[in-house]
Amino acid sequence: MMTLIGNEFTKLRTVRGPWVLLAIQQAVIIAGVSGIATAAGDLTSRRMMFGLLSHAGVASAILTLVLGITAVAGEYRHKTITDTLLATPRRGRVVAAKLAAYTIAGVGLGVISAVTGLLTTGAWRYAEGARLDLTDSGVWRIVAGIVALNAAYAAIGVSLGALVRNITGTVIVALTWIALVETTVANLLGDLGRWLPNRAGMALNDMPAAGALLPQWGGGAVLLGYAGLIAAAALATTVRRDVT
Amino acid sequence: MELSVSGVTKVFGHVPAVRDLTFAVPSGRVTGFLGPNGAGKTTTLRMLLGLVRPTSGAALIGGRRYVELTAPRRVVGAVLEATGFHPGRRGLDHLRVLAQVTGVERGRVDEVLELVGLAADGRRRVGEYSLGMRQRLGLAAALLGDPAALVLDEPANGLDPEGMAWLRQLLRDMATEGRTILVSSHVLSEVAQVADHVVIINHGRLRYAGPLRGLGGGVVSVRVTEADRLRDALAARGLGVTSTGDTTLVVRGATAEEVGRIAVDERIVLSELTETNASLEAAFLDLVRATDGEPAAAGAR
Repeated sequence: MMTLIGNEFTKLRTVRGPWVLLAIQQAVIIAGVSGIATAAGDLTSRRMMFGLLSHAGVASAILTLVLGITAVAGEYRHKTITDTLLATPRRGRVVAAKLAAYTIAGVGLGVISAVTGLLTTGAWRYAEGARLDLTDSGVWRIVAGIVALNAAYAAIGVSLGALVRNITGTVIVALTWIALVETTVANLLGDLGRWLPNRAGMALNDMPAAGALLPQWGGGAVLLGYAGLIAAAALATTVRRDVT
Repeated sequence: MELSVSGVTKVFGHVPAVRDLTFAVPSGRVTGFLGPNGAGKTTTLRMLLGLVRPTSGAALIGGRRYVELTAPRRVVGAVLEATGFHPGRRGLDHLRVLAQVTGVERGRVDEVLELVGLAADGRRRVGEYSLGMRQRLGLAAALLGDPAALVLDEPANGLDPEGMAWLRQLLRDMATEGRTILVSSHVLSEVAQVADHVVIINHGRLRYAGPLRGLGGGVVSVRVTEADRLRDALAARGLGVTSTGDTTLVVRGATAEEVGRIAVDERIVLSELTETNASLEAAFLDLVRATDGEPAAAGAR
């Protein structure tokens, strides 16, 4: 199993995509945090500090989700899945190794994104004469949230890609869900909307949101539940399907 | 390391791709796997390699299912038509990724690159490779584990004549070493130069399995006034008969003597009786054109 997980990292290292994605991710965080900072009036409040920093979580996690989707769906796209399964015909092991490797990669992307978020938030506050208070436990709760959210979204991406197998289709479905469908459903559901996956992710990220969200630990638990369900479905279908 | 397909049927949805197919591929020689496009060759190979699950029957590698092999890439090397590469990955890295899961040292990567003639191109990205170079890279990947059996699906696609000659020599050498080689193609002539045994399928059914030279012989032309009566008599005995004119028939699968005896039994006068050897290609086309009926020589190895 360690060989298989290591193999996934070799695959990631030897193509340019993940590195390009990492660069885009940081650019999106800097641009997104700066956008909010420019639009906002007063940057010195504690709530504003949290608002800026937590944006690094949702902004990075969407791209980490896309990376996760490429894990299996990308292999179908480039037809490398054939060689992968010829080497490891027990497919459950392949999906499990990808889940593990991409979750670890998600932690890595989360840490880098959190650092970028801290630096960008710090820079804007410094310009306003305030500072980034690293002794504030709220800051570290958001940092932990950013890392956990990236890890969870990476794993969910792997499972979604394994279920759907078509990379473009999966990305469109996932992004449409986050940008459009879930918001609509959440509005219809009212209070129950906080149990939806991206709402749970926002809670885990510890965003100061307008609507009602679960507590951070609750959001993490719910998201973990969703990740587990989708992973179980992905494992069950991957093992049975014909690879033609 | 014998490859065997026994009583294998595969139905996709309601479409049968392979029907009750049985044949064996012994070690120590090159076996050609022939049939027109859509005959079920790729599906059969994919069932052997554990990528497609048979609806019924068993496709086995040395008596075991592919999924049961502990180090499968060291037992079977395969290049399937749908084998792909990430265009942004270097050829060398593609093989390193596979070497890791094949369970071989990284030095083996340089060896196989050298073997397939890509030593100078290993550092280039696969997106820059020609079709022929990709075929060679696929082959290099299949050879990484120094496998006892080699399965190639339509290897001629993309290889230039020089590359084909090189591949044929490689396959012959590997067969001489006692390995099992199975090569699929939809063109008989490509396989005829390297394989001495062939398995021919069409519409998912076995049409012929046996030595290549057993495929050609036994075409008899007859000139006869009562052509219709003779044709019915021959057909009633299960022989393949085609009319080529009002008074001429072509009979397959029989000797001139057999045809003569049937004519005598039926009291039909013949004005001409000749036996010729059909070309392999004609015999092959004949087999795959006849879509129904029983296999020509089932069970032969």
